[in-house]
Amino acid sequence: MTLFERVFGGNDAVYGLTEGAIDAAIAQHGEEKAVSFPNTAYALPCYYAVTGTKVTNLKELKEALGVVKSLMTRENKLNDVFMSGVATALCAEFIEAIKYIDGAQPYEEPCYGHLSDAVIRELGVPLVTGDIPGVAVILGSAPTAQEGVDLVKSYQAQGILVTLVGGIIDQCQELGYKTGANVRVIPLGKDVTSVIHVVSVAIRAALIFGNVTPGDAGALMTYTKDRVPAFVNAFGPLDDVIVACGAGAIALGFPVITDDDKDVPPIPKSLIIQKDVSKFNATSLEARDIKIKITNIDIPVAFASAFEGEIIRRGDMQVEFDGSRVDCCELVQSRDMSEVEDHKIEVIGPDFDEFEVGSKHSIAYVVEVAGKSMQTDFEPVFERKFHSYLNCIEGVMHTGQRDMIRIRISKDAFAAGFRARHIGEVLYAQVKNEFEAVVDKCQVKIYTNPEDCTKIRHEIAIPAFDKRDERLSTMTDESVPVYYSCIMCQAFSPSHVCVVTPERLGLCGAVSWLDAKATNELDPNGPCQVITKERVIDERIGEYEDVNEAVKKFSQGALEDVSLYSIMEKPMTSCGCFECICGIEPFSNGVCIANREYAGMTPLGMTFPELASMTGGGVQTPGFMGHGKHFIASKKFMKAEGGVARIVWMPKELKEQVADRLNETAKELYGIENFTDMIGDETIAEDPETLVAFLTEKNHPALGMDPMM
Amino acid sequence: MSEFKLTTVEEFEQATARLLETGAKVGADAWQFRVKNQTPHCKFGDEGVCCRICTMGPCRITPKAPRGICGCDVHGIVGRNFLRFTAGGSATHSDHGREICHTLYESAADGNYKVKDPEKLMRIAKEWDIETEGKDLYDLAHEVAVTGLMEYGKPFGTQRFLKRAPKHTQEIWEREEIAPHAIDREVSRSMHMTHMGCSSKAEALIRQSLRSGLSDGWGGSMMGTEFSDVLFGTPKPIDTEANLGVMKADEVNIIVHGHDPSLSEMICEYADDPEMIAYAKEMGAKGINVAGVCCTSNEVAMRRGIPMAGNFLQQENVVLTGACEAIVVDVQCIFPALGPLSKCFHTKFVTTSPIAQMPDSEFIRFNAKTAGENAKAIVKMAVENFKNRKPELVHIPAMKQNATVGYSVEAIIKTLDGVTNSQVDETGTLMPLWQCVAAGVIRGAVAMVGCNNPKVRPDTAHIELMKKLIANDVIVVASGCSAQAAARAGLMDKRARELCGAGLKRVCELADIPPVLHMGSCVDISRMMVLVAELAKIGNVNISQLPVVGCAPEWMSEKAVSIGNYVVATGIDTFLGVEPYVSGSSEVTELLTSGVRDWVEAAYTVEKDIDKLGDAMLARIEEKRAALGV
Repeated sequence: MTLFERVFGGNDAVYGLTEGAIDAAIAQHGEEKAVSFPNTAYALPCYYAVTGTKVTNLKELKEALGVVKSLMTRENKLNDVFMSGVATALCAEFIEAIKYIDGAQPYEEPCYGHLSDAVIRELGVPLVTGDIPGVAVILGSAPTAQEGVDLVKSYQAQGILVTLVGGIIDQCQELGYKTGANVRVIPLGKDVTSVIHVVSVAIRAALIFGNVTPGDAGALMTYTKDRVPAFVNAFGPLDDVIVACGAGAIALGFPVITDDDKDVPPIPKSLIIQKDVSKFNATSLEARDIKIKITNIDIPVAFASAFEGEIIRRGDMQVEFDGSRVDCCELVQSRDMSEVEDHKIEVIGPDFDEFEVGSKHSIAYVVEVAGKSMQTDFEPVFERKFHSYLNCIEGVMHTGQRDMIRIRISKDAFAAGFRARHIGEVLYAQVKNEFEAVVDKCQVKIYTNPEDCTKIRHEIAIPAFDKRDERLSTMTDESVPVYYSCIMCQAFSPSHVCVVTPERLGLCGAVSWLDAKATNELDPNGPCQVITKERVIDERIGEYEDVNEAVKKFSQGALEDVSLYSIMEKPMTSCGCFECICGIEPFSNGVCIANREYAGMTPLGMTFPELASMTGGGVQTPGFMGHGKHFIASKKFMKAEGGVARIVWMPKELKEQVADRLNETAKELYGIENFTDMIGDETIAEDPETLVAFLTEKNHPALGMDPMM
Repeated sequence: MSEFKLTTVEEFEQATARLLETGAKVGADAWQFRVKNQTPHCKFGDEGVCCRICTMGPCRITPKAPRGICGCDVHGIVGRNFLRFTAGGSATHSDHGREICHTLYESAADGNYKVKDPEKLMRIAKEWDIETEGKDLYDLAHEVAVTGLMEYGKPFGTQRFLKRAPKHTQEIWEREEIAPHAIDREVSRSMHMTHMGCSSKAEALIRQSLRSGLSDGWGGSMMGTEFSDVLFGTPKPIDTEANLGVMKADEVNIIVHGHDPSLSEMICEYADDPEMIAYAKEMGAKGINVAGVCCTSNEVAMRRGIPMAGNFLQQENVVLTGACEAIVVDVQCIFPALGPLSKCFHTKFVTTSPIAQMPDSEFIRFNAKTAGENAKAIVKMAVENFKNRKPELVHIPAMKQNATVGYSVEAIIKTLDGVTNSQVDETGTLMPLWQCVAAGVIRGAVAMVGCNNPKVRPDTAHIELMKKLIANDVIVVASGCSAQAAARAGLMDKRARELCGAGLKRVCELADIPPVLHMGSCVDISRMMVLVAELAKIGNVNISQLPVVGCAPEWMSEKAVSIGNYVVATGIDTFLGVEPYVSGSSEVTELLTSGVRDWVEAAYTVEKDIDKLGDAMLARIEEKRAALGV
């Protein structure tokens, strides 16, 4: 049997099952029964992306199946095979969607099933920066559980996001291997159809970041092929259904690597037979052209971005350092070249062995760097990275920053030999790695004596932080000579450009003006370029000829003009991985803001995913704007429309996070005390009427402002 | 980047019409007019039934006069004409190859010609059992050249390169007694067999036609290709541009035309010379622009990225632009019309080879020993001619396309290495191509070759067939004027992958290739022979089983018939869009379109309806796939 015949056969089989499932569901629930996946604004995302039609109930699902049938042509051409693969995937989505009828929760631990839009938006930045260099889809059962787990582990150690379907999930459980989104190993489900949940992630990425028009299947497939670094590892024996799914994967540009060669002819870069499972990793990375940044750090545990979300519970903890209770801090200091001995790591004070299990201590680590192009402005840029560096260590958890840090070392890491010096090794290696253009020499001092820590915190660190804050607070859009572009996201969102200013950080929240400046110094031809701001067009909305020229250039002509301070006139675009989105609320004359973590409803009648789907992909959408959390308290926030006084609603948690700075800004701009008390949240209102009543009661300034539209 | 769009034949024709207006102003003749004068063509000639081999005739066969004076029937006459036609082509290609052997023989470390690909020289030396150990590179080059030259006249044995074919193919050639002996001998034998009073049996004449063709494809042409690579470098992918728009209004335009790269390589060398460029500036030009026509163009495009001004039926157009300072020609496919035409403009028509001497040309005899001086003199002449340009006659159609060219077999293998996976695959083979074919991602391959012919709306057949083939996931390899038609239309722009079916498109994306691969000039069809031979070996099938066919939809020359014969004799079905002069004989027609299949597992198909020709090729490819079970 030829490969094409197998795909057609597998597709026919899945189609039959889907038809049966839909008919059975209609018989049980009636045609009008609603069909949807939870927490997505894209209905049945795969079907929506391919056809442009949102399926909402069983009747429409049945109609959609007719459309799927029309894709199932049977000429002996790759196009027919690809479309049959796509049809197979859509059938899988339909079968999975039916499982969620009536708000059912068809998946239980450890399986995840459908993944929410928020998960995809969170993946945006790490995929762009290469922190997640790829996405592996492992399907079926490995020849032995150990081989399967070894494969999962090998990807995890490289930072690759691993999704599991079928027998491999049992194999992980059998060997007690930890899975979960926080360690980037996501079991989807045990039926082969559950593979659609990762396909759905790739497809929604195209809609969210790529501005792919739903229904433009060609653009969709080009996006996934060129920009989503996913691949499939399918363990033999492959049945025709899996072969048909594989055709769908290859259609999207995801190569399939399998150990089954029976009736499976190899196709270069697409369908690769690798009989040796231990070589699946290397074969897959090469097939998908995934390059792993090699960080060879001399520590006894693994170091990979996959461990960034790892949580260490009290019971698993060997020792803890807690800045909220005792004196702790982390600090970068520039030194003269003569003062730094490269790769010198000193531990001053007792090591972890001398602490009791489960005890709490002080720690202060000072990273001293020297380099001809080093600037003190870069110190906080490096420092902000420490959180990520230390979290990437297997068995180490880090939270907070500056002198409010908390670090936990797990018992496993300790048992593996992890000691204080290794924190220094990681900091050294990563700083040198990432900032080699400005750091010629680097040494690390780790203090664990309480007296040393107190002294360093109060006499060195806090004064240094104060000085920096002062510099930052005086750093305004007016006080700096230039801005920076950031097109880091263009790998994903090809026409989006961020203009980063001191008072407006990148919308992902990850790139401040200083970060952009440092990035530019590190790589002058890189993603952050200097943008001059000499030829002002309109001060009110923050429009400059030079900025427009830059935006036009960096967006390859997709964007003509952009304002820095308005959400109504030529607003800045979004890639899709913004921390927050604000949208106008017409009844109150204000805006509501929702952050990515917020799962509930907003008074706009839309959830975050729904709001977020209004913008993104580098397209201007007046009235909606993606932005970073930090920007909320900026004096430049919607300056053209009157500033922060327009904010009428935020989720409670977000409100609390930004309260101090926002209140300060409101006081300065309008003389209002405790402005955040006037802002609604989900405990006050989830609909416009209640919100307006609340705002009226509080005499919110937005009510008296000019209409925005 | 501007949106990618193919240039249409209509646009080609509009440009030509505009140039003919200039022609009218200066009283120039053109092939379009001469075609009118020559139509209708002689029916006897067209059917191949006219015999003028002896002076008893000429004899023409009609139903009333079924035999010539000597008694030869129509099959004998048509067969003899066909064989002579083949021998003419074979002699021409092979003599081109011979010239290259001589150039190789003249190469020297400090000479005009050097060995640019010593690795390939070594490879051929080893293949031919010539000791390489401890030998000076140029001593070896001379030894290989002499060995090559001996292939033309050696008294015993068959062609050395036959061993490159799969065993099965070699066995067929032996069994059918068509394995070619010395190249010149096959031409002589053909002439001898067709002399008055020799062969009149169609079967014998066609058999010799195949053998004479093979002596070209696996002999003279192959040496032409291989030694050109040794001397001038083996082509690798390189970007260039194609169509008349490559000529530059503010520079000295030198057009190289013909087939033998020995001359054009030197011209390119001297056009790049700072001294010459400075001289051009002195003469008021911004620089020196070399562009090509016909297969000389293919040669220098593949190795140097020199732009391609046009193919066979564009040769008069380059002069009609009024911006051509010199059209420098070597051998083959050069219109004698260029002489009178050049007189209507300031253009210098420079002939260089004793083989191709023409009235109204300036003859600068070019030879390997004085190549540098000759080339310099020609470039200088062109530069000095810039001032004679008549600005009011200058019109260069602003029409050109990007093309990536230079896909020698070596380059194809290197490109394929890029899609292998080092964990499972070997590199340096055609395996990835075979895998794509076997899995059905690519349905098959078509070798598109051959000329233009006014009997077919110029370039339409090439372009329309290629578009149809690639849309059906059939990869196209092209050479000669067919390759240039593709380049001028835009089919060698990598963005043309958008016009492919999903399978070929994916392959083009992964391998980063255009869907139509430029494999070179017409002698380089030998590269295609090596390609299919290697593909058959790696797929462990016979050449005739491969879903591969050849196609010459607009052919016109004797060389094309020689090529067709060796392609068929190699086991590849060949599709023609212009009838050879054989329709007068049912027996010869039957042999060519069917009978030879019993000998060599392949035959000709002739179909003048281009759409049907395309369908026939696709059907044949699918038949071969079905037979293979893939």
